[in-house]
This record gives sequence, C-alpha cells and structure tokens, in this order.
Amino acid sequence: MAVDKEELKRLLVEFCTKKAAFKSKMYIKDMYAACPDASPREVKNAANELVREGKLEFFSSGSTVMYGVPGFGKGVEEAFEEEKAE
Amino acid sequence: MAEVKKHATPMCDELKKGSWPSFVDDIEQKGLAGKQECLDLLGQLELSFKHKETHWKHGGIVGVFGYGGGVIGRYSDAPEQFPSIAHFHTVRVNQPNGKFYSSAFLRKMCDIWDYRGSGMTNLHGSTGDLVMLGTKSDQLEPIFFDFTHQMSVDLGGSGSNLRTPECCMGKSRCEWACIDTQGIIYDLTQTFQDELHRPAFPYKFKFKSSGCPNDCVAAIARSDCSIIGTWRDEIRIDQAAVAAYMAGELKPNAGAHSDRDWGKFDIQKEVIDLCPTKCMWMEGKTLKIDNRECTRCMHCINVMPVALRPGVDTGATILMGAKAPILDGAQISTLVIPFIKMEPPYDEFKDFVGSIWDWWMEEGKNRERFGELLQRQSIQELLRRTGLKAIPQMVKEPRSNPYVFWSADEVEGGWKRDAAEFRKRHAA
Ligand code: HEM
Ligand code: HEM
Ligand code: SF4
Ligand code: SF4
Repeated sequence: MAVDKEELKRLLVEFCTKKAAFKSKMYIKDMYAACPDASPREVKNAANELVREGKLEFFSSGSTVMYGVPGFGKGVEEAFEEEKAE
Repeated sequence: MAEVKKHATPMCDELKKGSWPSFVDDIEQKGLAGKQECLDLLGQLELSFKHKETHWKHGGIVGVFGYGGGVIGRYSDAPEQFPSIAHFHTVRVNQPNGKFYSSAFLRKMCDIWDYRGSGMTNLHGSTGDLVMLGTKSDQLEPIFFDFTHQMSVDLGGSGSNLRTPECCMGKSRCEWACIDTQGIIYDLTQTFQDELHRPAFPYKFKFKSSGCPNDCVAAIARSDCSIIGTWRDEIRIDQAAVAAYMAGELKPNAGAHSDRDWGKFDIQKEVIDLCPTKCMWMEGKTLKIDNRECTRCMHCINVMPVALRPGVDTGATILMGAKAPILDGAQISTLVIPFIKMEPPYDEFKDFVGSIWDWWMEEGKNRERFGELLQRQSIQELLRRTGLKAIPQMVKEPRSNPYVFWSADEVEGGWKRDAAEFRKRHAA
C-alpha cells in the first residue's frame, strides 16, 4: 500500500526523535516500525529525503550505515559497540 | 620543500628488510618529499605495534551532500601526537569498467590528491574502487566537486549500500567473454544509482560480473550476486589445431608455463584426465566432448585456446550469496539461475534482483548479508520469493530430509479446517 510521503516523513521524524532520547543511532530496519503500512523501499526513500533536508543524518562505520537525529547522541564508537553487544 | 617531522619507527623499519618492496619505504619516501600525513601515519602504526591495538576511531558523520556512501570516516585517537592525521578519511571512487585509465587521468587524480589529501592511494581496493586514502572533513566537498566536474568520475559505494559494481575486462580484450561484462556493469551502475549512493539495505550488497567461468574478478567468492558468462551449446572444436597441439606445434596454455621444460605435451594427461566430469575422450585422432556432461570449467579451453572455444549460444549463470567470514564462515555463491540471456536492457535480470532486494529488505536482520538470509530462511524461500524453479544443483545432499513441507497457500483451503465437518466423518 502506498503511504503519503510527507506523512511518512513526519512519522519517521517523530519516531526517531522519541527513540533518540535513549538510543541515538538506528538502522533503517528499526525505522520500519514508525509506519508498518509503508514498504521498506518507501521508508528508505523518505529517510533519505529527510537526510537531504538535514532532519536526519547518516552515521557510517564504512561497512554499515545507521541513521541519527542531528544534535542527539553519543560517540560513534559507543553506538557501534552497543550494536555488537546485542 | 615543506618542513616535515619524522617519527622514530624501529618496528615499522623491520618491514623494509624483506626482499619485496615495502609499503613502509613507499610511505616514508612520500613523507620525506613533503607529506607530513605519511610520516604521522607511520608514527601511529609504530604506536599501534607497541600497544598491540589500533589507534583509529571507527566511522562517523562524514560524507558529501546527498550521498550516504563513498566516504569512510577515520579519525586518529592520538591527534596530539599525530596532528596531520587527526582526520584521515578514505574516499572511494567508482573505477571505470575493466579499469581502463589514461595516464593523463591518473596523473590528474594524483595531483588532486597531493593537493587535497595525503597523496596516498590504493589501486584498487578489493571492492574494485580506486581508493584515495586520507583526507580531512573540510576537503570532502571540494574533492567531490573536482572528481565529478573535472574528472567525470563518481564516488563508489560504502556502508549499507549497493557497492561499486565490478567486472572483468570482458569483450574489450578477452576472446572468452560470453557476455558483455562492461555493458552489464555500466547499466547496473546507472540503473541502481539510488541504491549505490543512499543506504537502503540491512548491509552491503555487491554485484560482480566475469565474462566466463575463469571468473577473473572472483565474482563467485566476492559478490552477493555473481553474474558469470557461460554457454549452453557446444564447445567449438578445431580438430586440426588439436592435432597441432598434440604434435607440439602449438604451445599449451599459450606458452604461459614455458619458463620450464615440462616435457612433451600429453593431451590425455594434461587435458582429458583433468576434465572434472570426465566427459572428453579421443576417438583415433579426433577429440570428442560429451557437452551434456561438461560443467563449463574452462580447463580444456585454457590449455588449448586455439583448438577449443566456448559455444556461441551464450548468456550468464547467476549465483547468490558469497561473503567473507564475519558470521558462519566464508561462503561461495549458490547457483540460482543456471542460464539467463543477458541482453540490454536486462529486464528479466533486474526483476529478479528486485525480488531479492524486497525479500532481504523485509526479512534481513541488521548487518545480515544476503547469503546469510538465504542460509537462514532456505532455498525454498528463495524459490517462493523469486518464482524460480527448483533445480538439482540446489539440493545440498539427497535424502537427508524425508519430509516435504507445504506452505498454507500451496494447500487448498490453507491450514483452516472445519472441525465439525471433520468429526461428522471421523469419530473422536
Ligand atoms: C519391496 C518392498 C519395499 C522396498 C523395496 C522398500 C524399500 C525401501 C527403501 C529403499 C527405503 C529407504 C528410503 C530412503 O532412503 O529414504 C525404505 C524406507 C521405508 N520404508 Fe520401505 N520398502 C518396501 C516396502 C515397504 C512397506 C510395505 C512399508 C510399510 C508398510 C515400508 C515402509 C517404509 C518406511 C516407514 C521407511 C522409512 C522412511 C524413512 O526413513 O523416512 N516399506 N523402504
Ligand atoms: C495423519 C497421518 C500421520 C501422521 C500425522 C503421522 C505422523 C508421524 C510422525 C510425526 C512420525 C514421527 C517422525 C519422526 O521420527 O520424527 C511418524 C513416524 C512413523 N509413521 Fe506416521 N503418521 C501418520 C500416518 C501413518 C500411517 C498411516 C502409517 C502406516 C500405516 C505410519 C507409519 C509410520 C512409521 C512406520 C513411522 C516410524 C518412523 C520411524 O521411526 O522411522 N504413519 N509418523
Ligand atoms: S573472466 Fe573470462 S572473459 Fe573475463 S577476462 Fe577472465 S578469462 Fe576473459
Ligand atoms: S570445460 Fe571443463 S568440464 Fe567442460 S569439457 Fe572442458 S575440461 Fe571438461
């Protein structure tokens, strides 16, 4: 089902900002939960647009990419270490 | 010449002593010629040898505007000691297919890198890219502008993206190419620009294409989707040339092993007995091949290239899921499509790729390579997701599992049964 892109972007920002309070970096996969009706491709496209608008930011280890909310969060190291421990 | 400071690096210097050229020499020379980054790099390497741990910080928010890949952020965790490499980001540049360069292009790239980076490069990374090592965050946008506007090259892939697709030189120089690897890889690179530059996947995804089963880019070992040229008709045989090899008039392997005397060429020992499926034999002076049994290994063709050539009904074999050993060990790609015609615009192949990506984006765990998903959810799931037909090559070993599993939609009425209806016919 196609989801309205602006609505999806609003949901993503809301979801990520809420989550950022305790977990500042997330994988694209974790963001699917923001809008279960949207397909992975729609979420990806919306998230990438948000990055271009500066509302989200990429966070890359070189091998994987995570998304973050600008202004939130801890160091890169911590975020990736945490993922490995999970 | 700029004033540079050399650190004492006794342990690195040990590495200069071997008989091969040493990267330590190369980096040090570049450093002494005026690049402090090179000397600081060796200084930090020495410190890492001493502490037996790395002094690089891993990753970060670096990139060029609109791209989620192509730049790999690296920072020194000892910037007071090694200030020139406080930032030391790597930039991946999408290499031309078949890696054809003009020397003018390479000189210009080096000039840009001397000016905006450490001056150090790496041709090529195992991803295939032209790798530019070591630059600072504030140089990234100017570098991106220079590369795209002056050099007409794009950045490559990194992170959870499609990685820079790669191919052998194929039809440009090699008579064995069964498919136009450069054409295919150029088309895939253009078609999947968004996937290349913007992270979409649980982890990295690589396409590599080789023109024949010799697989010069090691697609079968290094790519999530390997596209390998093959043929489905018969090996072309020139019997007169076979006779010429047997008489010693033509050199086996095009003379590649002629630095030593291996004795007289013996077609039985060197070709027929080494055929992995034992599908070749001599009938008098005539070489025979049972093409139904030939597994397209290329051995006989490699030994006698004048006499034997791949067939003319050519296409590709598609294999999925190779990866390096982070989880569950290294894995070679698994055969999924034995033969597919590869002609522009490659729609059938692209539809297949779409079904693979939909599956992986939906079900793949964070940092799970496609090959690991394939292992976890089975070949049967692959068949369901892609609509491909099962083939014997997909069976790992016969008769190890006596059960046939049905999914609900393969059974009339699914798993829902009317219990009352059932009890009418069968007493409880
Ligand atoms: C001439 C008659 C028969 C022959 C030649 C025969 C042959 C075989 C063979 C070769 C297997 C091994 C199959 C495998 O490796 O998966 C097998 C398994 C089996 N057979 Fe037979 N069979 C015969 C009659 C029967 C009859 C009459 C029954 C039962 C009423 C029976 C029940 C089974 C069962 C339960 C298995 C085990 C299957 C399993 O391990 O999954 N067989 N038989
Ligand atoms: C709805 C019908 C049936 C169901 C759901 C069923 C289910 C099962 C299950 C779950 C097993 C154990 C498999 C295992 O080792 O893990 C089994 C074993 C077996 N069943 Fe059935 N069964 C059915 C009908 C029958 C009938 C009609 C026969 C013979 C007339 C039969 C003969 C056997 C035999 C011989 C084994 C032993 C297998 C062994 O230990 O090697 N079954 N069955
Ligand atoms: S893979 Fe085959 S076609 Fe490509 S360069 Fe190697 S031998 Fe030639
Ligand atoms: S290509 Fe390999 S399998 Fe086929 S006939 Fe030659 S040696 Fe045998």
